[in-house]
Amino acid sequence: MRSACLITTVLVLLAGVTTAQVEEHKKGTVIYLAPTLFDEFQTESMAAMQSMLGSIGYKVRTLDAQNRADMQLNQLENALLMSPVALIVAAVDFDSVVPGIEKARSAGIPVVIYDRQITSTVSDLSSVAGTIEIGRLAGAAAVELLQGRHGKPTRGSVLQILGDPGDSYTLEIQKGFDEVLELHPQVEVTTKAAMQWEATHAGDIAEDHLLVKPETDLIFPHAGHLAIPIVATLEAKGKRPGDVLMLTSGGSPVGLEMIRQGWMQVDVEQPLYAQVYGIAMCLDRLIAGDSLKVGTYDVTGLAAVLSNESWGPNLKIPGRAVAKANVNDKAFWGNLTPPKGPVKIIK
Amino acid sequence: MTLSVRQQLVVWGLDHLVWFILAGTLIVFSLTIDQFFQIGIFVNILRQATFVGIISVGLSLAIITGHMDLSVESVMALSAMASAYLVATNGAGLGLDLPTWMTLLVSLGIGAVIGLINGFLIVNLKISAFIVTLAAYIGVRGLGLILTGGRSMFGLPDDFRWAANAELASVPVLVLVLVATYLLFHLVLKYSRFGRYIYLIGGNPTAPFRAGIPVNRVLLSVFVIAGILAAFAGWLLAARTNGATPNLGVGMLFEAFAAVVIGGVRLAGGAGRLSGVFAGVLLMGSIDTAINVMGLPPHNTQVIRAGMVLMAVLLDSATSASRRRLMG
Repeated sequence: MRSACLITTVLVLLAGVTTAQVEEHKKGTVIYLAPTLFDEFQTESMAAMQSMLGSIGYKVRTLDAQNRADMQLNQLENALLMSPVALIVAAVDFDSVVPGIEKARSAGIPVVIYDRQITSTVSDLSSVAGTIEIGRLAGAAAVELLQGRHGKPTRGSVLQILGDPGDSYTLEIQKGFDEVLELHPQVEVTTKAAMQWEATHAGDIAEDHLLVKPETDLIFPHAGHLAIPIVATLEAKGKRPGDVLMLTSGGSPVGLEMIRQGWMQVDVEQPLYAQVYGIAMCLDRLIAGDSLKVGTYDVTGLAAVLSNESWGPNLKIPGRAVAKANVNDKAFWGNLTPPKGPVKIIK
Repeated sequence: MTLSVRQQLVVWGLDHLVWFILAGTLIVFSLTIDQFFQIGIFVNILRQATFVGIISVGLSLAIITGHMDLSVESVMALSAMASAYLVATNGAGLGLDLPTWMTLLVSLGIGAVIGLINGFLIVNLKISAFIVTLAAYIGVRGLGLILTGGRSMFGLPDDFRWAANAELASVPVLVLVLVATYLLFHLVLKYSRFGRYIYLIGGNPTAPFRAGIPVNRVLLSVFVIAGILAAFAGWLLAARTNGATPNLGVGMLFEAFAAVVIGGVRLAGGAGRLSGVFAGVLLMGSIDTAINVMGLPPHNTQVIRAGMVLMAVLLDSATSASRRRLMG
């Protein structure tokens, strides 16, 4: 009798918890296809998705593609069988994921592109800063830093360290960066790749490069975590902050901390919170099948422009350069202060 | 069978072929790559080879016993993350005021425990070493991710970083540590009873058991040693990079495997010398450094490395065949 009572109590409690969860996530499940979780931007993106989309009634499931395009395509196909109300994709490879996106959309599941822009197929929304644009901003920052050191015309020696050359993200940043630097023929850019985004490789590349090109003015690793061993190498060589200029992209906590310490001059931020918030603002409308009104929206204090492009509605949120003067601005995701208050859903 | 002096010289040359390949490669690089030939480059090759070099020792021991340890890369990463997590002042680090020796102890402890678990599962439960250590390779990397929440850490105390930055008589301490590790385990393999048992077990595990050799104990010790060496490499890696990131050391297992194979350790077990592995590690490091110094597009790196590994292995098999013919 006592056992029966105990079992009944447990079942009632379980039912209560389950009902509460269903009530909390009554709008259904959104599946977020993350490219990797070995990266602060990605783990914080996952947390922000869960918190912001959770606050408006969605349950978020994250699938980690471990930087493998084939795995992401498999995950996307599996996700279609889980009856999600929407898919959010941050692609490992911008081309190979396209068949999966098309399959999902033809099954009536809205697909949102997050952070890593895909223009070769139509999606229901892209919430991006633009990877090529981030590269261009980094290029502009590099030019400014070199001019600060040598005056005009812009000249100097730059070491660019990509992430894994199989990752479209880093290649697009390179494209934007090179585009700007090519306008300054007296700047010599050497490009190397840290395979698998592994930080030790970046440190080794910098160490070898500085040996044969000690006159290097600026190093541009494509992510903050790649800068950690580079700074260690510079320190070991007796360099002081600012002796070799540094620039990175992403806006990670590590990058911001290095700006505070003086090792890093600029970090071009991808506005993580704003990009997720932008999705949260639009998701109800997308799932309802409504069209979004083009125009400028206030997304966590940033002026985001929603336009209709050949690849679908595109919410462009500008990336920003983080430097010593503004590094403590709480709006930068690297300061890990997500926006508070309810999400303002587009009516 | 008695060999003539000339034949003995040829056999010696074949046994140390990887060193000749290394010397040839360095000469070619020095002649063809601008600014390659300088002391600084050679020091960089040695310093940067430390981590793959140390995990290659543990991997070699496991392979000589006829098994393998795929977990060494992940153990190295977890050890780096755990030690950085404790004392790093930025990122996900706790910034605890711990003495450096304690972080080393924690790291080595992690390596020993994982090695012990691997060894127990392989020796006592008779599960394939490939499966056990593959599971550890995946799972231990995941543990690091859980520990740090996917965040990076940096800003280690100066005394922690001493080993990575200091020099003794103009030689980096990391290089001395690497050489000392190889020397120690070379002596162990060559002159100790334990070393002889390792070769005997790898050659034929049944015969040593019948001869009263404690096969299980030796195997367990080999996996514990491989874990401790990997953890030590991780601790040094944290010191060098002044912190740790969740994907630290990704890909080093394959570099270590390549170095071990190039170095002439027989994958079937029972044969191989650490001196060859050391040359293999340096050869891999030389290729990486040459690629860094050359103005090659980054996309070509892996193809070049793969080509060099293949070439070295083909040469090795050709020389093994010649050696067998010579020895009758």
